[in-house]
Amino acid sequence: MRRKARIGFYALTSCYGCQLQFAMIDELVQALEKIGIECWFMLDRNSDENAQVDIAFIEGSVSTEEEVELVKKIRENAKIVVAVGSCAVHGGVQSWEKDKNLEELWKTVYGDGKVKFEPKMAEPVENYIKVDYRIYGCPPEKKDFLYALGTFLVGSWPEDIDYPVCVECRLKGNPCILIEKGEPCLGPITRAGCDARCPSYGIACIGCRGAIGYDVAWFDSLAKTFREKGLTKEEILERMKIFNAHNPKLEEMVEKIFQEVKE
Amino acid sequence: MKNLYLPITVDHIARVEGKGGVEIVVGDEGVKEVRLNIIEGPRFFEAITLGKKLDEALAVYPRICSFCSAAHKLTAVEAAEKAIGFTPREEIQALREVLYIGDMIESHALHLYLLVLPDYLGYSNPLKMVNEYKKEIGIALDLKNLGSWMMDELGARAIHQENVVLGGFGKLPDKATLELMKKRLSEALPKAEYTFELFSKLEQYEEVEGPIIHMAVKPRGDVYGIYGDYIKVSDGFEFPSEDYKKHMVERVVEHSFAKHSFYNGEKPFMVGALSRLVNNAETLYGRARELYESHKDLLRPTNPFANNLAQALELVYFIERGIDLIDEALAKWPIRPRDPVEIKDGFGVSSTEAPRGIVTYTLEVKDGKVAYADIITPTAFNLAMMEVHVRMMAEKHYNDDPERLKYLTEMVVRAYDPCISCSVHVARL
Repeated sequence: MRRKARIGFYALTSCYGCQLQFAMIDELVQALEKIGIECWFMLDRNSDENAQVDIAFIEGSVSTEEEVELVKKIRENAKIVVAVGSCAVHGGVQSWEKDKNLEELWKTVYGDGKVKFEPKMAEPVENYIKVDYRIYGCPPEKKDFLYALGTFLVGSWPEDIDYPVCVECRLKGNPCILIEKGEPCLGPITRAGCDARCPSYGIACIGCRGAIGYDVAWFDSLAKTFREKGLTKEEILERMKIFNAHNPKLEEMVEKIFQEVKE
Repeated sequence: MKNLYLPITVDHIARVEGKGGVEIVVGDEGVKEVRLNIIEGPRFFEAITLGKKLDEALAVYPRICSFCSAAHKLTAVEAAEKAIGFTPREEIQALREVLYIGDMIESHALHLYLLVLPDYLGYSNPLKMVNEYKKEIGIALDLKNLGSWMMDELGARAIHQENVVLGGFGKLPDKATLELMKKRLSEALPKAEYTFELFSKLEQYEEVEGPIIHMAVKPRGDVYGIYGDYIKVSDGFEFPSEDYKKHMVERVVEHSFAKHSFYNGEKPFMVGALSRLVNNAETLYGRARELYESHKDLLRPTNPFANNLAQALELVYFIERGIDLIDEALAKWPIRPRDPVEIKDGFGVSSTEAPRGIVTYTLEVKDGKVAYADIITPTAFNLAMMEVHVRMMAEKHYNDDPERLKYLTEMVVRAYDPCISCSVHVARL
């Protein structure tokens, strides 16, 4: 009989929403026949941060010096490292002002108060270690976890989604928030996989799954709409920064959106 | 010769939300120091949302915490609506409260069954209880699923609800879904009562028995619940929520990225389900009122472990309350989901009762942007009191096997249902 796959779920600085989403998957109970949990502090008191694992799920941004050491240790002990959710993949909403000075932020928040741990500006896990797979979203959908975990367990490799939220939104038959209401819906440039959850409620996408590459289908035609609706470059850039502050191609991408449509 | 003592530490407390540890320093005279180390990194939420568009800031605030994201969203939106001078219609307010109740049900069920119960039954992990405690795990999943389904329907998802917007909701469920919600709530009532029965039998450790100052939002309309405009203290004092800074004074402490709070700058205090009951029990009604009257001795204000049972009682209460609130909304059917809002300049404070206690948002809006933000979360309020109770436990058991001491002190921390992620974002600008 094959041994159980050893799983670790580790938290850096975050809201714990990815783990909560994972814990909320009813099928998890059945999956226990196939997986053994070596480390998952949110649910298990017998968690061992130093255990060898087959799959390491990491939630949260690297926000303290201690967390830098932790991710390095996880990498050494794990065969597959999965960055889970917007914080681990992109640095999370706490990176919205990543260019501000840390000392300044610290002073406004804590005044002259001293704390014995070393804080730092939030960063994605990938800035410190090699990441093998990414699960996107804030939080990811339950099916994202099931797909990735299930695929690993059958010995295969899960695929990435390379089309925008608009594709799923059209399939759901929603009225277009960008075209019809002129609201800054980030659907055209945000990675799909959520079944256009927010636009289906009439809410403009805020891009929680992160930007897709800009070489994908429809990018040019969809992006053109931003300008046609009178949205500005600054507005789109600022909104994209909520979940994409660490994307090195961000400005280039927004630049392209507003260039492409030049008459 | 002096004895040498090593500190007894739990580096990372399991089965709580967020990352924190306990450190107990023992000397010749007994326990010298007790520290709750809060080691989650800071996220500067108030600082990063400054100067940002109001709606985008409101999308970011719930990310402070997943276990109570609906609480953050709804409190932030209320503060923002007060700031811009908008009052939601009664039926919208009722449905927002139903969404909040979804959060309460999910959070309490999760805390009681998955985080607390394993300690009492001798498990490290609730998932391992599945075979022997099928019924309990079944109830836990049913209640948790009910809560998250309510948040899905009203909030667009169970974690980080985008469907709540200035002026109302993006979209509302149809009438049939609300009828179904009522039905599912009433079907869950016996499960909540079972939960109360179960938790009424669990030990409340007398080591931590002693006087506690409790604070809770005084419910609007004198019906036990979530929203209110005054904060009530168990010593009889009451103050308007806007004055929280005068009476709930924060200090930076060296061992924590979260500040500690003190009543009038001196005394630690408690917030949460137990504090709500202590201060507002006379506003309960229905089955929960009956259970409260018959179990008063177990729901006593002097023991933090009673907070577990208080949450179980609230499961019963909020299920019944949810049904009534849906009826209030249905009486006005059909409901327009959203009113147009004008983003005027202004200043607003909202304090509500999150599953773990008072959460306070203060927002100032200028030119459509956030000009000032201050957020204080229940766990930040509770930390100082929690340290007092951990110390009381440690003083009785520091000579025991360190494993036993760790186990007991962790249980004290868990009884507070701390949300460490919440506590760490704290900022003052």
